[in-house]
Amino acid sequence: MTTVIMRTTARAIVPIVLVVAISLFIEGHNLPGGGFIGGVLTTTAFAIIYMAFGLDFLERGILGRDVDPGKEPSRDRVVVAYRRLFAAGFAIAVVSGLAPLAFGKPFLTQTFVMLEGVPIYDHLEVASAIAFDFGVYCVVVGGLLTILSVVGAE
Amino acid sequence: MSPDLAVVVAAVAVPFVAAALTPLFFRLLGEEAGFAGTVVAVLSFGLLATQYGSEGTVALEWIPSLNVALRFYVDGWALLFALLASGIGALIFTYSPAYMHGQSGLVRYYAALFAFMGSIIGVALAADLIAIFLFWELTSLASFVLIGFYTADDSSQYAARMAMFITVGGGLFLLVGFLLLSIVAADILGPGAAFDLAAMLEEPDAMTAALRGRGLFLPVLGLLAIGAGTKSAQVPLHFWLPNAMAAPTPVSAFLHSATMVKVGVYFVGRVRPMLVGPEWLFLFATLGLTTMTVCAMMAVAATDIKELLAYSTASHLGLMVAGFGFTSVYGAETGVFHLLNHALFKAALFLVAGIIAHEAGTREIDDLGGLRHELPVTAAITTVVALSMAGIPPFNGFYSKELLFEAAVEASHYHDIGLLGWLYPAVAVFGSIFTVLYSLRFLSLFFGERPDALGHVHSPPVTMLVSPAVLALLAAVVSVDPQLAVDVIVQSGLEATAVDPHEMHVGLPTSYSTPVGMSAVTIAVGVAAFPFYDRLHDSIRRFVGSTPPVRSNWWYDVIIEGLTDEGRWFAETIHNSLLRTYATWVLSGICALALAGFVAADAIGSVAVGFEVTLAMGLVLLVAVVGALAVVLSDTHVAGVLTLSILGFMVAIFYILASAPDLALTQLVVETLVLVLFLLVIEEIPATERIAVGTTVRDIVVSLVVGVTAFVTVLVSSGVRPEGSTDIARYFAAQAVPEGGGTNIVNVTLVDFRGFDTLGELAVIALAAISILTLIVMRGRGDDERPTARTGDAIEARDDADTTGGGDE
Repeated sequence: MTTVIMRTTARAIVPIVLVVAISLFIEGHNLPGGGFIGGVLTTTAFAIIYMAFGLDFLERGILGRDVDPGKEPSRDRVVVAYRRLFAAGFAIAVVSGLAPLAFGKPFLTQTFVMLEGVPIYDHLEVASAIAFDFGVYCVVVGGLLTILSVVGAE
Repeated sequence: MSPDLAVVVAAVAVPFVAAALTPLFFRLLGEEAGFAGTVVAVLSFGLLATQYGSEGTVALEWIPSLNVALRFYVDGWALLFALLASGIGALIFTYSPAYMHGQSGLVRYYAALFAFMGSIIGVALAADLIAIFLFWELTSLASFVLIGFYTADDSSQYAARMAMFITVGGGLFLLVGFLLLSIVAADILGPGAAFDLAAMLEEPDAMTAALRGRGLFLPVLGLLAIGAGTKSAQVPLHFWLPNAMAAPTPVSAFLHSATMVKVGVYFVGRVRPMLVGPEWLFLFATLGLTTMTVCAMMAVAATDIKELLAYSTASHLGLMVAGFGFTSVYGAETGVFHLLNHALFKAALFLVAGIIAHEAGTREIDDLGGLRHELPVTAAITTVVALSMAGIPPFNGFYSKELLFEAAVEASHYHDIGLLGWLYPAVAVFGSIFTVLYSLRFLSLFFGERPDALGHVHSPPVTMLVSPAVLALLAAVVSVDPQLAVDVIVQSGLEATAVDPHEMHVGLPTSYSTPVGMSAVTIAVGVAAFPFYDRLHDSIRRFVGSTPPVRSNWWYDVIIEGLTDEGRWFAETIHNSLLRTYATWVLSGICALALAGFVAADAIGSVAVGFEVTLAMGLVLLVAVVGALAVVLSDTHVAGVLTLSILGFMVAIFYILASAPDLALTQLVVETLVLVLFLLVIEEIPATERIAVGTTVRDIVVSLVVGVTAFVTVLVSSGVRPEGSTDIARYFAAQAVPEGGGTNIVNVTLVDFRGFDTLGELAVIALAAISILTLIVMRGRGDDERPTARTGDAIEARDDADTTGGGDE
């Protein structure tokens, strides 16, 4: 799969996909999108990188580490990072659900505040649900990437 | 006077707390930790004793939305049982350190004993059906751990499994009975009392009428009887009790004679006022008397002192059940009074058996005799309690047996039972004769000739003698002044279990009456037959040994082996490591269940299908169908995957046309990702092989069924709704902005209204990732390992990525 065409296309596409994914995640509260879709799209961007540049590209080319070939895929540092990511995502989601308990509300109660006079946006709405949604996002990205990299390594 | 919630809860909770602290006791006290148990048991006993004389219900909130609460109901009957449990518990804890001296696994032993004691006190006091069930099963679990204490011993494992299987299984029947009861109670007494047994027992007549009116009376009675019968070792499910003698002797004394096995009897007494009637009499009197007789005969056939005592326990449990089964007030008197008496003499006898085994080194009846020289104190204790077991006047067992005879004779006065009116007293006498026989046999261990083969017998340490001595002393007190026991506790227990309680009077008979005559016959025949004991013993053994089908144990073994074989065959058929097989079975099963559910709920007929399709939709769906056909017809994997994606993208476009942008986005993105994943692994998939025609036909059928199920499910569950959107949809649409602060209803629903569901989904995704990780990693390790079996291990690792299964070992 690693042809010149593929690599060139990937260079152009991946940043766009990532930006779209993040924007989908952020505006998900009012427009189509949300943590799950953003997460899957982010994973897609990574999948394209994998297909174009190979599995070790992330570690070797971007993080500047050496990779020992022949290691078990699950022992890979990147895979460990993905596993940590979905664990962290799960923790974020749970903790964001626990937070309302401190205010005497039931588990997972969400609220939102309107911020007026913010520069550039002027009027910004911050929903507490975004924390929970971020947890969703992390779990999806971490989980799917784990699957992807492990299966891909095979 | 009403009970004090804090005290009652403390009495139940203290043993559980102690169970958690057991390792600490050991760190501080070493093997003397058993005496800490004595303190804990005495503390529980003291707390319960402060509630003496009170009556009423106290409750802690537990699951308010289901009207389940930790309700405790305190009255004489509950206190009698709870005090027995904690009192005898204290004696057992005193006895244990010397008996268990030098054995390993004592932490487990004491922790299980503590937990067990707490559970029994819980069963005695709980007034909420769910709480009763919970404590009930906890006692079975503790019993499992204690019977299997010698983990290396196969027979011990076998016995533990058997006890667990029978008692926990019976508990499940009980649960179903409870649920039926709660349905009826919710109708009659209001939803708040759905699980409140105390409230039901306050309205016994209304409950009985309601049960009969709904035709649930017999099912409830039967289910409760199975639950109580398994726990209290009634024929034909009595065989686990003799096997349970694999447990250390203090455990046998505590669990399998004084407390746990009486839970069934206790519960029968508890619900007696609500369910009493002719069916009750027929069921429980027959069951109890059968058990009493069969187990008494088996006890005569026993060769091991603990086996003798175990069968005798089952026999006496039958006596109590039969007592409660007789509908007259004498029946209730029998049950309550014998529960107390039996606990006193049988626990003492077990402890004596423990002393014999511990000091003489053998439990074979034939090898023992003339022990009175070496064990004088034990002999004195045994004389009291064995004669009490035999029902010889003036010992306490006599009074309750006398009441049983009276109840049996009176039975025909209350209900027209024809021949049974004669049969019941006759069987009661017949069973009691054997009781006299084996009691005398046990006593003869201390008298008569001392066998030459018997080695030196040590004298037991004083801590082992204290407990049986205390019990024998109490038995003696009750023997001398039975009315005292009645006034103190039995009378109040009677009031809870009898329909028409009256002032109870017991004492030695002063004039002739039918029960006195029956007792005289029993004792005379028993003593006269004693010289022929060995002949009886041999003939019963021969009969039972030559015809296996009369042994329940044989049936148990046959059934369990059959189940094991079937299960193995089933597993090998379904789990043959081919993904194809798994998918076939799982999908067929799901479809069958779903379709059966729809048919049962009559949901299919009510669906109205509309055919309003715009041109664009029709076009898109047409392309989707063409794509689906192309998937089937494609001859390479790449073509198959790509055509499958065509289908997926068409579905996404259909979502857009149906104005569901969120869904469409998700579908598009997921479809892309799946395509990429497939392309990554496509080279790994083996080439298509030729498949037999039969398999092809089967696959076609399965796929058709799956398709139909999916189609019907969508139709039924999305409900082609003629009346427009549902209340929920309207509510979400109206509340999304004010409540959730977002205009995207889908996402607000996901993270706000239904956040908990989303959390569950997250767990699923995380689990899927871990499972795949495990699957792939396990693949390289030996072919005989089944990687799928490992995915379950990953559940606990969800919150801790560093410990996920497989990779970090």
